[in-house]
Amino acid sequence: MEGGRAKEEEHDGVSVHSPCKAPPSSASSLPKEQHEVELELRLLEALEIYPPVKLRGVHRHFVLYGLMEFLQKSLDRHFSPDEVLQLLDRFYNLEVLKPDDEEIDTLNHEEDFCLPQSYFVKEEP
Amino acid sequence: MGSSLKEETTADADTSSRDTPPSDSNIFSEGERVLAYHGPYIYEAKVQKLSFGRKNGTDRLMKNTEENVRKQQALDRKQGVEKGSRPGRSSQTKPKSSTDAKLDKEDLKNTVPKGKKRKSDSGVEKDNSSMEKPIKIQIPSTLRKQLVDDWEFVTQQDQLVKLPRSPNVDDILTKYLEYRCKKDGTMSDSIGEILKGIRCYFDKALPVMLLYEKERQQYHEVIVDDVSPSTIYGAEHLLRLFVKFPELLAYVKIEEETLTHLQQKIIDFLKFLQKNQSTFFLSAYDRSRVSDGKGKDN
Repeated sequence: MEGGRAKEEEHDGVSVHSPCKAPPSSASSLPKEQHEVELELRLLEALEIYPPVKLRGVHRHFVLYGLMEFLQKSLDRHFSPDEVLQLLDRFYNLEVLKPDDEEIDTLNHEEDFCLPQSYFVKEEP
Repeated sequence: MGSSLKEETTADADTSSRDTPPSDSNIFSEGERVLAYHGPYIYEAKVQKLSFGRKNGTDRLMKNTEENVRKQQALDRKQGVEKGSRPGRSSQTKPKSSTDAKLDKEDLKNTVPKGKKRKSDSGVEKDNSSMEKPIKIQIPSTLRKQLVDDWEFVTQQDQLVKLPRSPNVDDILTKYLEYRCKKDGTMSDSIGEILKGIRCYFDKALPVMLLYEKERQQYHEVIVDDVSPSTIYGAEHLLRLFVKFPELLAYVKIEEETLTHLQQKIIDFLKFLQKNQSTFFLSAYDRSRVSDGKGKDN
């Protein structure tokens, strides 16, 4: 009889709800989500220092370097330039960002090269 | 637009009214405490030296009157000025361009958040830009001497670097990357990115700030059809970039620690240049052939 069989199973002393059995597998995806959230948060933090618009201008490689260092430090793993750009691609369409106005001004002001006076002074040994 | 500051002698004539100057007066004198605009902020300063400016100066300085002080305080509140609140580098700033009045920085009462004065003739101050404290790049002494020789050849002896150069800037940067790979046993993408940054700066900066006046004609003759300077010019001009590098980098905010790393890597690159000085740099330049007949004949 079924009832008897069910009871028989219980007599085994082991049930699916026993603490020694592993919980359902859906719980293991939670750490991964937290990981994702952490990554996004750190990226947004990084972008407060290094605004995406700077990635369009003449300083872009140094800005990217800064982002790499920031993320490496805060997430304790290596980030390549491409990885950083891919991450940014999730949030921003970098192609439509126009370069800083300020920058256009800076590097349009032509001046002759001038070697500072300090170079002409004999250095103390 | 606007009148420049008057010279000291003229200003003296008005010293009798110095105790209660009209707040819209544009006559200042040395040693006077004034209020000055620096970017969007107003701060107290002391006029150290006066000189004629090319453009307006008066709308940047204001008499230190009650009315103007109130203006200052209102602006401060509006801008939410806090001492040392900015992340990144120190919020002390130096006015970058020459202005009509050289201000005594020791007298700056408020923390002056970053601001930038323009050298342009428009006389309009853009107050939404910011400048960082420049990093220091210590150029090795034999390279400093190289720069002096370079100056001598071009400006004093009317000579020019023969173009195109071999190795060119691209070649040199590549050689450095190879050198580092061999040393580290691995390709560093940090260094790769920094070298790209240097090339990018070089290509942009060369015509804007790395040429002596006597080299401009040559530049226009050689850089045609979108050719990039880094494929034509070599170590001589690359070295000049490092004189300007701190100034260029000051236009972008970078974390202190990252700046230190960057500084170290640049110094390493300069040492590489120094190590290879005899192969990278010319020891003699060409006599220039200026087509208007002013230069020496070949």
